[in-house]
Amino acid sequence: MLRLISTIRKELLILLRDKGGLAIMFLMPIAMITIMALIQDAPFKDYQEMKIPLLLVNKDTGSLGKAIEKGLNESKMFEINKQTLNDTEVKQTVKKGDFEIGILIPENATQQLDQNVDLFVTKKLSEAGLGDSVVAENQNTEPLNLSIYFAPDTKKSFRISIINSLKQSTSKIETQTLLNFFSKELNKDGEQMNDKEQMKDFVQFNEISTVETPQEALQLNSVQHNVPAWTIFGIFFIVISMAGSIIKERDDGSYLRIRTMPGSFITVLSGKIISYLFITIIQAVLMLLVGLYLLPLLGLPKLSIGSNVLAMFLMIVFTGLAATGFGVMVGSIFKTHQQASTFGAVSVVILAALGGIWVPVYVMPEAVRIMSEFSPLYWSLSGFHKLFLNAGTLSDILPYLLKLSLFFFACLATAFYFDKQSQ
Amino acid sequence: MDPNAAIELKDLIKIYKGAAIPAVNNITLHIPKGIIFGLLGPNGAGKTTTISMMCGLIAPSSGHIQVEQFSVQKQKEEVKKIIGVVPQEIALYPTLTAFENLQYIGNMYGLKGDALKQKIQNNLITFGLDQVQHKKIDTFSGGMKRRINLIAGILHDPKILFLDEPTVGVDVQSRNVITEHLHFLNKNGMTIIYTSHLMEEAENLCTDIAIIDHGKIITQGKPKELIQQHHTENLEQLFLKLTGKKLRDH
Repeated sequence: MLRLISTIRKELLILLRDKGGLAIMFLMPIAMITIMALIQDAPFKDYQEMKIPLLLVNKDTGSLGKAIEKGLNESKMFEINKQTLNDTEVKQTVKKGDFEIGILIPENATQQLDQNVDLFVTKKLSEAGLGDSVVAENQNTEPLNLSIYFAPDTKKSFRISIINSLKQSTSKIETQTLLNFFSKELNKDGEQMNDKEQMKDFVQFNEISTVETPQEALQLNSVQHNVPAWTIFGIFFIVISMAGSIIKERDDGSYLRIRTMPGSFITVLSGKIISYLFITIIQAVLMLLVGLYLLPLLGLPKLSIGSNVLAMFLMIVFTGLAATGFGVMVGSIFKTHQQASTFGAVSVVILAALGGIWVPVYVMPEAVRIMSEFSPLYWSLSGFHKLFLNAGTLSDILPYLLKLSLFFFACLATAFYFDKQSQ
Repeated sequence: MDPNAAIELKDLIKIYKGAAIPAVNNITLHIPKGIIFGLLGPNGAGKTTTISMMCGLIAPSSGHIQVEQFSVQKQKEEVKKIIGVVPQEIALYPTLTAFENLQYIGNMYGLKGDALKQKIQNNLITFGLDQVQHKKIDTFSGGMKRRINLIAGILHDPKILFLDEPTVGVDVQSRNVITEHLHFLNKNGMTIIYTSHLMEEAENLCTDIAIIDHGKIITQGKPKELIQQHHTENLEQLFLKLTGKKLRDH
């Protein structure tokens, strides 16, 4: 026990006196969390709550213009700004970037729609031998043109979804108009269709939420993603410091001296692992405090950490174990500090990218998603998401804890193998 | 096992994995208790491998090593308790103070409390470092670091001390303090196994030497007797005569 306690004390003293190392371990993740949460706040909101600025020029005074305007309002996707401009002005304003979309509904659009529908209905009834009116052969309908202007950088998928949304708004009024004209033609002598008797939706979509608790109602926002993500990244970055410490001890003869001392080397290694694990726990707590108290001051949402503190603590400990195990392995495999720090940094960055630290895994291509399953950072992040977003319990995160502990032991086994080989 | 032997090597062979020739080739050696024994040889001769096997750091391919009454292969833990090792490198933590380094090493040997503090103080006074004990190692000169490195190897009063180039790169005064104290420790019963490239120092310090080359002991005895026997003026000439003048860069 004396050897273990003494090793822990020695390691902590060395770590606390390494100002550069401390900066990397603590300031770097804080900076990453803050910067990434701020940067990704807008993209996350894009998917969830952000409204797209839309310029609406409605020159129509009839029902069509009103229906389109109502549809746009009801979609809740847009921040509508109504102005009175001509075609060129709308185009220039959108091009300048003030608005993502510009919609121009021309004068007498409703009137033109009515004329087109009237002509169509009369023609069809005439062809069927019904109705009184006769339509000249050369009399054709001209489609009503609604102009939609998109900003130069608007994505194609976004354009399609906007046009579909507008088509949905206009199709109902088209159908309603069509129905009214048929009704008018067929009941010229009788009672006309009541204007208030609007066409019903024959198919209705019921939106049913699966959320049962307030915790489950939380959505993956920038803070909920970035705080655990960059905390895990920071924890794993300890690999560089730990591998460097192992290599330094080997280079300066301390490792040799320790191995000539009585007692098991595992005790010394455990002391090192416990010290670095302690640092990772402090790191994680500090990062969570940033999410709870600092980020809200910057206008970001407050981090929600769920209610299962024990499960969260275990998640932190097992993530720290995986990181320290990886550090021991890297320190045992590589001969120089440069090799270890380069490999350590690059491998952590790759595992982080695969693990969904930068962008959530669900937006990645399928092939990458499969590879993500092998990243310890992904296991850790998934565990934190289970706790923070899905009100997960200890049993929910057990598979992740198991994977992280297996990774830890696999790393140690590899380290022992390489250490044995080097002897 | 000879009860007067500190170390006995019998038919010791070490062949590293993938190596064509043995690093240590059938060495048999008897080192009596209470001597300062110099194991000398050019680079790559097999010194480090031999000493590493004596300390239990690497296992021999064949042969037997006895340290005092313990077999290194079978009683490694017992051997570790009675040996001290001073590596050529400054095996200290630069951001810890001299006291913190020695406290850690003392704890690793099971020493603690006031007894450990007293031992550290005594050694620091002996080596003239008590005034700087709370300064970090990275502020020390090369000679000061060497002295702390030596204290770290003798803090637990080992019966046998292994020294690898203990005075390399140090000032004359520091070297003098180190060699004087090694003589003192030896007079008090400590067996010292020493390797160095400094032949003059080895000649003055060692009571017995062995010259090793290509993994074999090529001569063994008291330095003055060997110098006379081979008709040379000093140990350096003897060394060159036996090992040749060809450069040994690897």
